[in-house]
Amino acid sequence: MRSSFTVLVLLAGLVPAGARAHEVLHDVERGRAVAVRVYESDGEALADAPFEVFSPSTPGAAYLAGRTDRAGWLAFVPDAPGRWRVKVVEAGGHGLDTTVEVAQAGAAAQGGARAGGGAAFVLRPLLGAAVIAAVFGALVLLARRRSTSG
Amino acid sequence: MHVPDGFVSPQLTLPALAVSAPLWAWAARRHFGRSAADSLPVVGALTAVAFVVQSIMIPLPGGTSTHLLGVTLLAILHGPLVAFVCESLVLVVQALFFGAGGFTVLGVNALAMGLLGPLAGWLVHLALRRASPRGAALVAAWVAVQVSTLAVALVLGLQHRLSPAYFPTPLPVTLAAMMIPSLAVTGPAEGLYTLFALSVLRRAKVREAL
Repeated sequence: MRSSFTVLVLLAGLVPAGARAHEVLHDVERGRAVAVRVYESDGEALADAPFEVFSPSTPGAAYLAGRTDRAGWLAFVPDAPGRWRVKVVEAGGHGLDTTVEVAQAGAAAQGGARAGGGAAFVLRPLLGAAVIAAVFGALVLLARRRSTSG
Repeated sequence: MHVPDGFVSPQLTLPALAVSAPLWAWAARRHFGRSAADSLPVVGALTAVAFVVQSIMIPLPGGTSTHLLGVTLLAILHGPLVAFVCESLVLVVQALFFGAGGFTVLGVNALAMGLLGPLAGWLVHLALRRASPRGAALVAAWVAVQVSTLAVALVLGLQHRLSPAYFPTPLPVTLAAMMIPSLAVTGPAEGLYTLFALSVLRRAKVREAL
């Protein structure tokens, strides 16, 4: 009788430990994640687009895969400093393949090209047209110089 | 429409560059030499306009967008090789200054958007222009967009078969995602743009458009 009671007490003592083993806990650490927003050249967010993130320590396999949120954001928590590769691929061929430089503390600075929104929507076509006009201006001058010298 | 860097492997980008490079050299020698001094200002202006129309995104249902090509007009007025060189220049400026597209995929994009589409459009215009000049321009621009889009979709589908790590979406999904907007929105818009631009050039008495 006494031995049965002892076993019962011991089992009762183990129950909380067993329950704790199945409990999911969490920590909140602010400033550790790297957030990247992807959008079209006119500022339209690339929402619900599939993405993959590759760690510099294991570049051959995706560290994280998922979909951007409705505002075009994706986020990951880097476990190593270096150049993290972010690849966003829409079925229609839209997307980007860029790198994000992650410092030791987890702070990130984006590498690669940055598409512009806002004022860039107006400035981009103007700048591109100006560059093309300059190229053709040079070609016209060259062609005229050649025709006069020849 | 164009493919960004990192979506296509060297198995496809290198052959595309190998095909494009001699074509660029041949087209530049043939169409941008000494004798082209008179036509270059119009070609340059149309190339700049093509850059601008490619920068304007047309929103589509589902959160994505499309844009016009603008180079079918150049193919109709000056031939497909001129369109090829001009579209390549547009792609270089986009890659160099704005990080759009990229240099590794320059050959793929130039062949799809600058050569195959405009060449198809030019052929259609050549075949139909006697029956109806306006109808020919409209259909030519529509066909050019479909051929360019189909070429890009096939390259992405082939890339998926070669290595899904570069492009994870299979061809049927890519085809549907690219061709439906192209058939319904981009093609008609390109046709209307080409018609409008041709009428403006005719009113301005630009020699090639008369």
